[in-house]
Amino acid sequence: MSSIFEPEVVEVMEHSKSGPNRIETRLSSKEKEEIDREFSHYEDKASVGLEALRIVQKHRGWVSDESLQAVSAYLNIPIAQLESVATYFQLIFRQPVGKEVIFLCKSASCWIMGCNRLQKKIEEKLQIKPGETTEDGIFTLLETPCLGDCDRAPVMMIGEEMHRNLTDSSIDEIIENKTLYHAEGSGHADQSAD
Amino acid sequence: MPTITIDGEQYQVDDDQNLLSACLAQGINLPYFCWHPAMGSVGACRQCAVVEYRDAEDQRGRLVMGCMTPVRDGGIYSVNAENAREFRGGIIEDLMTNHPHDCPVCEEGGECHLQDMTEMTGHTNRRYRGSKRTHRNQYLGPFINHEMNRCIACYRCTRFYRDYAGGDDLQPLGRNNQVYFGRQRDGMLENGFSGNLVEVCPTGVFTDKTFSEHFVRKWDLQSAPSICEHCAVGCNTAPGAREAGNGQDALLRRVVNLYNRDINGYFLCDRGRFGYDYVNSDARIKKVLAARGDEMIGSTAGAGDRVHGEVHPREGVQKFAEILAAVQRGQRRLIGIGSTRSSLENNFALRQLVGGGNFYSGLSARDLELLHLVDRVQRDDRIHSPSTPDIENADAILILGEDLDNTAPRISLAVRQAARNRQKQQAKKLKIPLWQDASVRQLRGEHSPVFFAGTEISGLADVANATLFDAPGQIALFADAIAQLIQGSDAAAMDLAADRRELAMRTADTLLAAKNPLIISGCSSRYGDLIRGAGKVATAIANRTATNCALYLACPEVNSLGLAQFFSPGRGHLEQLTQELHGKERDPLTLVVLENDLYRRADPQTVERILSCADEVILLDSLLNSTVKRADLIFPAAATAESQGSYINSNGQTQRFYAVYEGGGYIQESWRWLADAASFCEQITADLSVIAAWQHSMDLSEAVAAEFPTFEALEKVGPDEDYRIDGLKVARQGHRYSGRTAVRAKAEVAEFPPHLDPDAPMAFSMEGIQSPGATPLSANIWSPGWNSNQSIFKFQQGIGGARKGAKGPFKIRRQSQSIPDWTISAAEPEQDEEQLITLPIYRMFGSDELSASAAAIASVIEVPFALINRADAERLGVQPSQLWRLHTDGNSYSLRMHVSDTQPPGTLGVPCGLPGLEAVSSQLPGRAQLKPLPATETGETP
Ligand code: SF4
Ligand code: SF4
Ligand code: FES
Ligand code: FES
Repeated sequence: MSSIFEPEVVEVMEHSKSGPNRIETRLSSKEKEEIDREFSHYEDKASVGLEALRIVQKHRGWVSDESLQAVSAYLNIPIAQLESVATYFQLIFRQPVGKEVIFLCKSASCWIMGCNRLQKKIEEKLQIKPGETTEDGIFTLLETPCLGDCDRAPVMMIGEEMHRNLTDSSIDEIIENKTLYHAEGSGHADQSAD
Repeated sequence: MPTITIDGEQYQVDDDQNLLSACLAQGINLPYFCWHPAMGSVGACRQCAVVEYRDAEDQRGRLVMGCMTPVRDGGIYSVNAENAREFRGGIIEDLMTNHPHDCPVCEEGGECHLQDMTEMTGHTNRRYRGSKRTHRNQYLGPFINHEMNRCIACYRCTRFYRDYAGGDDLQPLGRNNQVYFGRQRDGMLENGFSGNLVEVCPTGVFTDKTFSEHFVRKWDLQSAPSICEHCAVGCNTAPGAREAGNGQDALLRRVVNLYNRDINGYFLCDRGRFGYDYVNSDARIKKVLAARGDEMIGSTAGAGDRVHGEVHPREGVQKFAEILAAVQRGQRRLIGIGSTRSSLENNFALRQLVGGGNFYSGLSARDLELLHLVDRVQRDDRIHSPSTPDIENADAILILGEDLDNTAPRISLAVRQAARNRQKQQAKKLKIPLWQDASVRQLRGEHSPVFFAGTEISGLADVANATLFDAPGQIALFADAIAQLIQGSDAAAMDLAADRRELAMRTADTLLAAKNPLIISGCSSRYGDLIRGAGKVATAIANRTATNCALYLACPEVNSLGLAQFFSPGRGHLEQLTQELHGKERDPLTLVVLENDLYRRADPQTVERILSCADEVILLDSLLNSTVKRADLIFPAAATAESQGSYINSNGQTQRFYAVYEGGGYIQESWRWLADAASFCEQITADLSVIAAWQHSMDLSEAVAAEFPTFEALEKVGPDEDYRIDGLKVARQGHRYSGRTAVRAKAEVAEFPPHLDPDAPMAFSMEGIQSPGATPLSANIWSPGWNSNQSIFKFQQGIGGARKGAKGPFKIRRQSQSIPDWTISAAEPEQDEEQLITLPIYRMFGSDELSASAAAIASVIEVPFALINRADAERLGVQPSQLWRLHTDGNSYSLRMHVSDTQPPGTLGVPCGLPGLEAVSSQLPGRAQLKPLPATETGETP
């Protein structure tokens, strides 16, 4: 999308920061296979749109304009309709993100338990604001409403894992672990590469 | 009829409606945003809150949304309760936190529903001091501006564009406070009804970009009821005009919808809304022009082309009068050519001047025959021509050869609504009120059956259950088969391919099973048997069901059906004229051409043959065109918005349009030029003196009605020029029209007297009746507190009912006559390898002559192109987008080739009327050869 929709918290990022970004305009056979598998769960092709976006994002890290076009062509859904879905769901990324996306809860319980202070800490430690990605392309920080874990507030989610009862020191630890994990030569696969 | 109590008053209201529309119908001002009379309720904006009480005991009640609450017999409600008022004010206050404070520079200002509702709720003080969310706007093409910051997220735009009009490139994007209504990326809105967003959006997000070019506030526009002249549907419009202010001629500044329940309802198509600008174009003829005798050195004019210079109108009329005098003396012959795009009055005036025997239609034999066929079929009592609401009610539709989105756009929008009838039936079964829009649309299941058989289907493709693409000859045979099946013929005995037979059987069964079957066809395929076939299907259904059957036959131009009434079948076409002219030696000949570009009607050679027989060609027209080049004397003719007259639409409905403003320069109605010429004659015969005596447009209307009983309704469609309400005329300008003296201060500070209107009981000024409720002659739709077009409900007989005071519809009177038992046989010549059959296709932008000169429309007209079937493309080696050359008898055209999967094999779709292809249009369908461009030419990219 040519940046007509610009959420307050998500700022346009430079592509160079998130590493080499080969933009694939056609769906891979793997992606198609996975999308095809979804058909059996839905009445019509158009309803598969959201799942297809998720699948593409899983493989590519985010959904570029080209990916959106590819899905639109494959499912024969008007691209605007697909964009409507993509921009509605917070977990579909229409801009490149880091390898680890931090969703920091900003709702009431977490706010009472000090999420604002933690946010400052993360921002200082990573030198990014919400919506931004670190220089090394590892972390993206996003704010999110209630994650449903209020009794263990403050919480944040990284990728699909929850981190609860956050403190300054647990934040340090989590971030250092993640950084180490992605450190060069660690041999771990880049998830966007398959 | 339920009785309800609102704020202590009892009201009888209609069943099956919601409280909001019940309140509005009773004249109670209840603010709303997202509800729309044609689109129902979704409860998105929360603006229409009222209090509902359990019973008379209940003192507290509870807040409900008016638009989502069905009226309940005995229900007790309050609109004025303090908490309801506070709630509504609060909603506005919330909306305003993000809405910019830009009314003074917003083009919606002065006719803004948000302004009106804000006033109505009394929310005058803004407490919010924070920053506002802002958006980037998109480029949406030449018709529509986008200013997203003004959005209040009522969702009306996407509900109209996507749900009602079937567009798929405008969507709500994002969410929460960030929701955005736009396209996936910048670009022209693709749907042909996009212009309605301007009226549907209650704020200034979507505004008319063509209007921006010469913007003034609504209150500064003068207006009158008019009729869209860009196709034969006959939509009602309210054009707005105003002085230029710089000493230049007044401008026609925009067109908005003028509600007519039976035709356009609340919506126009984009050709109709944006086509008006042709009257302001540089090609406009505003002066009297005469061919110059002297040779022009270095002139680029071709052989036979004239070079023109301006003459004083008196001189022009004098010349014309001399010709008339010579005719009276028997020294000259006079032949008149009328026009399907001119009013009955103009055509009649010319006919009277030249005499019935010397009056021609300006149409080819084929085109005139099509109109007579339409007329013939409509005369059958078993057939009725459906209004737009009738079409929306149809539960099974067969479309034969008509690409409605491009030939009768508003009808396509009606068909789209009809396709939902099955869904609506289901909703009724489930007891879901039809105004519960979101719930009804969620019901799954098939569309109501819409079958299409023809060359091309554009916008309606997504609602068509079955499509058959073939040349018109084959489609006519298919229609004939359906008619026979309906009459009970044996399918097995039919000479039809198996799949086609199956489709014919399915169609026949579906149409017979339907409660309101509808057949649609028309002239656009330019194939008589198709109209005959459509007539046969409709009458077959009528015979079987013993009720009459709806058949809509689309005509090509605004007054096609009207002009055809002046001629008996087989008479009045150009071929007959050619024959007539090439007979024996005759007296010198003057040809008077009324608002007609002959080069669009026949091939250049035929036109040449006609024009070369004339010693003098007199042309009355509004725009420079090819015929102008051959005219000796040219008079500037008034456009629809500048004149009064009557048109007959495809349904045979008589409608009158009124002058919105006076055209600039020496522009006047064509009949006035003729009357002037007659009155300039020195020795005036009885016939001429009748013509010279015409003063008012109504004089002519009455004369037409007297001479042709078919048009008897002309005396009833509108009041005479001396009609008054409380002694007053109807004002074309609103109460707040400004700058009456200042607007011309540059030239003169004195206040000019307003133009006098000799034709209508209306004033070109603020003086007179201002209320649209008092008379349908008032086109300035406005009511205290309701400045936008939404106020139309104040002037309806019930929400969505006919306009208060509207009479009619007035159909032309025709002798009823059953159609004969036509035999339809395969008449198409064998295909050969060398030649392709050329078939006419149409485009909303470009196929219509006048709107093609409107600047915004001109900017989006496609370059000359043709559609070719994929297999043919491969056979001939045609690559997509390549330029090829089309050779017809003696002429050739460069066309960009578009490869199509649906273009019937062996045929080429050629866009009718498209600029650059006017001359080939008259020969469609026909045969032509396609050849690669010589290498020297392929470099050019037009
Ligand atoms: S753009 Fe206009 S119509 Fe669409 S949601 Fe916003 S205010 Fe409503
Ligand atoms: S449908 Fe025809 S009459 Fe109606 S607005 Fe469009 S062009 Fe004009
Ligand atoms: S508020 Fe943070 S998890 Fe609920
Ligand atoms: S009009 Fe009732 S909620 Fe919008």
